[in-house]
Amino acid sequence: MNDRVLAVRDVTKLFDEGRQRVHVLRGITMDVAAGELVALEGPSGSGKTTLLSIMGCILTPTSGELLVAGRAVRSRDEATLREVRRQSIGFVFQQYNLFPALSALENVEYSLNVRGTGGRAAHAEAKRVLARVGVEDRLDFLPRDLSGGQKQRVAIARALAGSPPVLLADEPTANLDTATGGQILDLFQELAKREGRGVLVVTHDPKVRRVADRVVGIRDGRLADAGDEEAAA
Amino acid sequence: MVSLARKNLFHDRLRFVITVAGVAFAVTLVLVQVGLFMGLLDKSTVTIQHANADLWITSHNTPNVDFARTFPETAVLRARSVPGVARADNLIVAFMTIQLPNGAAEGALVYALEDFASWNLPWNVQQGSPADLKRGYALLMDRSAALRYGAFSVGEQREILGRRFRIVGTTAEAASFTTTPIVFMDYRNAQELQEQLGGNTTYVLVRLAPGADARAVQSELRRRLPYNDVLTREEWALQSRNYWVKSTGLGMSMGVTVFLGILVGIVIVAQTLYTSAVEHIKEFGTVKAIGGSNLAIYRILGEQALVAAVIGFALGACISYLVRPLMAAIHLNVLLSPGFSAVVFAGTVLMCLGAALFSFRRVAGIDPALVFRT
Repeated sequence: MNDRVLAVRDVTKLFDEGRQRVHVLRGITMDVAAGELVALEGPSGSGKTTLLSIMGCILTPTSGELLVAGRAVRSRDEATLREVRRQSIGFVFQQYNLFPALSALENVEYSLNVRGTGGRAAHAEAKRVLARVGVEDRLDFLPRDLSGGQKQRVAIARALAGSPPVLLADEPTANLDTATGGQILDLFQELAKREGRGVLVVTHDPKVRRVADRVVGIRDGRLADAGDEEAAA
Repeated sequence: MVSLARKNLFHDRLRFVITVAGVAFAVTLVLVQVGLFMGLLDKSTVTIQHANADLWITSHNTPNVDFARTFPETAVLRARSVPGVARADNLIVAFMTIQLPNGAAEGALVYALEDFASWNLPWNVQQGSPADLKRGYALLMDRSAALRYGAFSVGEQREILGRRFRIVGTTAEAASFTTTPIVFMDYRNAQELQEQLGGNTTYVLVRLAPGADARAVQSELRRRLPYNDVLTREEWALQSRNYWVKSTGLGMSMGVTVFLGILVGIVIVAQTLYTSAVEHIKEFGTVKAIGGSNLAIYRILGEQALVAAVIGFALGACISYLVRPLMAAIHLNVLLSPGFSAVVFAGTVLMCLGAALFSFRRVAGIDPALVFRT
């Protein structure tokens, strides 16, 4: 499928914990298409964060294939993985992970600097994406002076900076009230539908089902509806 | 470009103040201690630097200019006969006892020449004239002597080795390394005071003729005066300084002080940077997750160390330069040259970057996956 921006094929992940080998992922196959918002649900310890880390090129799988933005990521080399993250993936974290000493604008601008864009271009792009997520009136605010919803919007703006085709969000509504969480989910849906990004949201929040195109369950390192996923592939 | 390093540094103001204070303390300690040391060493060669002699003839193995040893004054005649020598004169430097009005006896370092003006000694005359030293038992006394001898003024008399001398003028800056005040008197008067100086001198000052080859003249003088040492002004100054540095333990003591200053600086900077790195570990994880490399994080820590070094040095240097007049008021010379300050600045930068290396190890192993942990 040409519109697939993120895919894993038969991915496994083993961790050595002392003398024990723990199978965290057991042959996961799934994908996210451009313009699609997929929710990944599962209980604690089911392997969803490990899967998210592998799809975000932060962890490498023990076996299996990974495709990001149409490109097979076979290298285990950190420099290559870093380059894929820089070019193709935007992250949104549960704890926002904003830099406390940087203003909203600087948080986004710094992310662009890391991705290789500097100067006026970075400044203009940062302003644009902050306006895109609706916090253009909070540019000079430090994270401590922003509400939870505003912080998450700034974090989303940071993830959007540089226009990566893939957005990966880890429990983005976990620390937000119901109304604000709903607004953030609407924003994710909009980013998928209007801008054609592939969005994968790891969540416990049942409200995500309202906006998700697909819900993928994961239990004990296996997809709960693995049959459907394989059929889709 | 947004500087996460500087923003983080200034965001936590208390930690920043502690870091900069640590650097400033180390810089002040090193600048003032070494400045005092250099000032003392400068005193040990002050007469060598100011006398316009190209070569000094000394008794064999004379350790420094203050601890002079005698040799026959006829050596000056041999020196004068060497081609390339424009002028050579005897100089007596000797410790003598001076009797004070209150009955106490103190030491004095006597400098005696036949013609002071020809050798730029003394170089800073405040009152009177060196020419007056020819008028009987007369002496010029350095103003710093007031600390040891009590107040004195021109026209008063002091007894040196039982002979009454009239103070005909005062000088400035003529203080020896040992803090013994320097007094200037006529050559013949000095010889008359001490029996062992009769027919002897302690140094011969040599000025070269224009265009003369210093090395050739030095070599010829050594050949003709086999029982003496012949040193250039620089060699003699170095030998005098080395004596105080090596044989008194002063150099070792100064080395220990400088080492402790640097150690304190490294410990404070390393400790604050390391704590800061640990506290910002999740931020560094985020930097890595969004595509930053270890090098990008090292740059952040390095930039923080550099900022602390620059501001800490500026503060420490300001304090040190402000301390100078206070030290001068108690006759302590803190010698701070731009060259030495530049060396300390470079050392400060290296010290802070070295301290940052401790944090490098901590951040090198950051797993970017920690960004998903709550």
